[in-house]
Amino acid sequence: MGRTDSLAKLAWAYGRHLARRRLTRPRSQLKDLLDTYAADGMIALEPAERLRHPQLIGCINCGLCALAAGRIGRTRLPDVASSYMRLYARLGGASSDLSGGEPDLEAAAAACPVGVPLAEVAAIVRRLSAG
Amino acid sequence: MSREPTHPSAHDVCVIGGGVTGAGIARDLALRGLSVLLLEKGDWGAGTTGASSWMIHGGPRYLEFDWDTTRLSCQDAGHIVTIARNMVYRVVFVIPVLPHDRNNIERMETAMEVYDRFQPLKKAHPHRRLTPAEALQVEPGLTPDLIAAVTMEEWGVDPHRLVFANVQDAVAHGARALNHTRVTDLVRDGGKVIGVRYQGPDGTTSEARARVVVNAAGPWSPEVGAMAEVPVKLRPAKGIHLVYPHRISNFSISGESVDGRDLLMVSHAGFTLLGTTDDDFYGDLDSVDVIEDEVEYLLQGIERVFPSIRSYRPVRTTTGVRPTLFKWRKYEDELSRRYVVIDHASEGVDGFVTIAGGKLSMYRLMAEETSDAVCRKLGHQAPCTTATRPLPGNESDVDPPEELAERYRISALAAIKLQSRHGSNAAKVLSEFDSERLLCRCEPITEAELVYSVRHEQVRGLADAFRRVGVAAGPCAGASCVMRASAVIGRELGWSASQRFDAARDFIRGSWLGRAPILGHSGWAQEELARGALRGLNL
Repeated sequence: MGRTDSLAKLAWAYGRHLARRRLTRPRSQLKDLLDTYAADGMIALEPAERLRHPQLIGCINCGLCALAAGRIGRTRLPDVASSYMRLYARLGGASSDLSGGEPDLEAAAAACPVGVPLAEVAAIVRRLSAG
Repeated sequence: MSREPTHPSAHDVCVIGGGVTGAGIARDLALRGLSVLLLEKGDWGAGTTGASSWMIHGGPRYLEFDWDTTRLSCQDAGHIVTIARNMVYRVVFVIPVLPHDRNNIERMETAMEVYDRFQPLKKAHPHRRLTPAEALQVEPGLTPDLIAAVTMEEWGVDPHRLVFANVQDAVAHGARALNHTRVTDLVRDGGKVIGVRYQGPDGTTSEARARVVVNAAGPWSPEVGAMAEVPVKLRPAKGIHLVYPHRISNFSISGESVDGRDLLMVSHAGFTLLGTTDDDFYGDLDSVDVIEDEVEYLLQGIERVFPSIRSYRPVRTTTGVRPTLFKWRKYEDELSRRYVVIDHASEGVDGFVTIAGGKLSMYRLMAEETSDAVCRKLGHQAPCTTATRPLPGNESDVDPPEELAERYRISALAAIKLQSRHGSNAAKVLSEFDSERLLCRCEPITEAELVYSVRHEQVRGLADAFRRVGVAAGPCAGASCVMRASAVIGRELGWSASQRFDAARDFIRGSWLGRAPILGHSGWAQEELARGALRGLNL
């Protein structure tokens, strides 16, 4: 009974939906979507970042890059790659952790045993934390 | 090793099972002024609760079967989101529709339009419809073959923290809660259940008398029922998830499996869960393994909508068994997630109540109805207050994380994560131990928080610390923090050096078992590297 009733109500809703689609002109809802969730920190990766993403998150926090180049702001380099690069939605609240000095990221990347491109990672983390 | 029973303690109610339902019942009854004993054979939330999809969701799937379940689920999700606001976050799905999908875009949007009617109950926003180009802008990793997409909003939650917050509040209101304590038998007087016998972590056997014993043991409830010689009939269903230690995408993604089931790639706070399977389970509930076929089934389904999924390295798996109510003939996926409260007095066993079935999103309601049944039996009149009374850490607004970070000399990210676990109690946690040291850098977790969890949150080992504060839950899977964490826990609990060493080794070995079925090419390489880093443990 419950199933029959549910399917009947869905069928009615489907008919109404089709009628509405025919009678009204659809408009883009993308801006509404992005505006709705901006406060929650949901920011899409750029297509180029998406392509490279699996390579950008290989850090296992071994610490060798920190020996080579130290910190970005108050944050140790491996933490930028292993922790901040996890795309936390609330990264905007932690932007102060990353403000300040710019270490030699190329030297740090050269020391990385799993080949994480640290300059690229730092740029993405800063973009996302800026909101 | 079993020692002589100690003198029995006396309670109004004994609750067996420290998953979210049992913990919710203990809290509800304690808030109503009853004396409660809560017993859990493992750690809080270590069974079905922890192996869930970590979502408080309304269940749009049930719209095909039973709108009432969707309504109740959304309503209760709304209560949970209110009382546990520090623990919850929005999870927004992009649901791409592909050619030959079971539902075309119009049918899919119809379902979302209907679901939108229930969304305000859980304080969620209505759906949006996206063109292929718009969907790819939101998530460039989606397949370019998509026809259109709709969005859907749910809530994410850390179920381990949710369970513990319920335990914590129950204890604050007079309950006694013991983890790592196994019920070995029920005490009976003729047909009536009058208490339990249980064995603590040190092997001590004890007895507790209770006017009512509640069986909230989830998939283990038939075993507990058998102790009272009453049948509790379930159709247990196994579900696994793959855990990726990053958010692969900021928006969660839904896809269709080879057999037409919905699969979810859920973006949580810093990690991604990909799941789930749903298969009848007949094996040993204490030893549920992930098999490679299940992993392949999930990857195959999500790869269709998110082609690069195999380039990502999962860090572990979760596996659990749902306590689904018994029904003959239906496919596992079509089984109802409804629940039932059984007073076994009608079967000649008084003083014994079972709660069976249900799901995480309705735990509070399940607890309320079970507590109502218990109160009726006891002739106790007190209203349920759990729908509005905040859980610990939610009584007031949290400090701005940057202020907290400045005050305790920790990073703002560490403060944010700490607040997601402890809410407005975060400063109290940091005041417990004077150390700004980050113990687990991937998460990140401070030494002060781990010390607090051992002293005040019943953490008795590394696996408990993993659940309570997230030790070793990040990309390194413990390679860089497990020895440090073992040293801190050992210092607090008085472990010897060899006990600390053994604890770290056992934890790494245990997590390896959950990782082996998912290691691909790069996974094996990283495993070798991690093993090199931990070579002193003789793994």
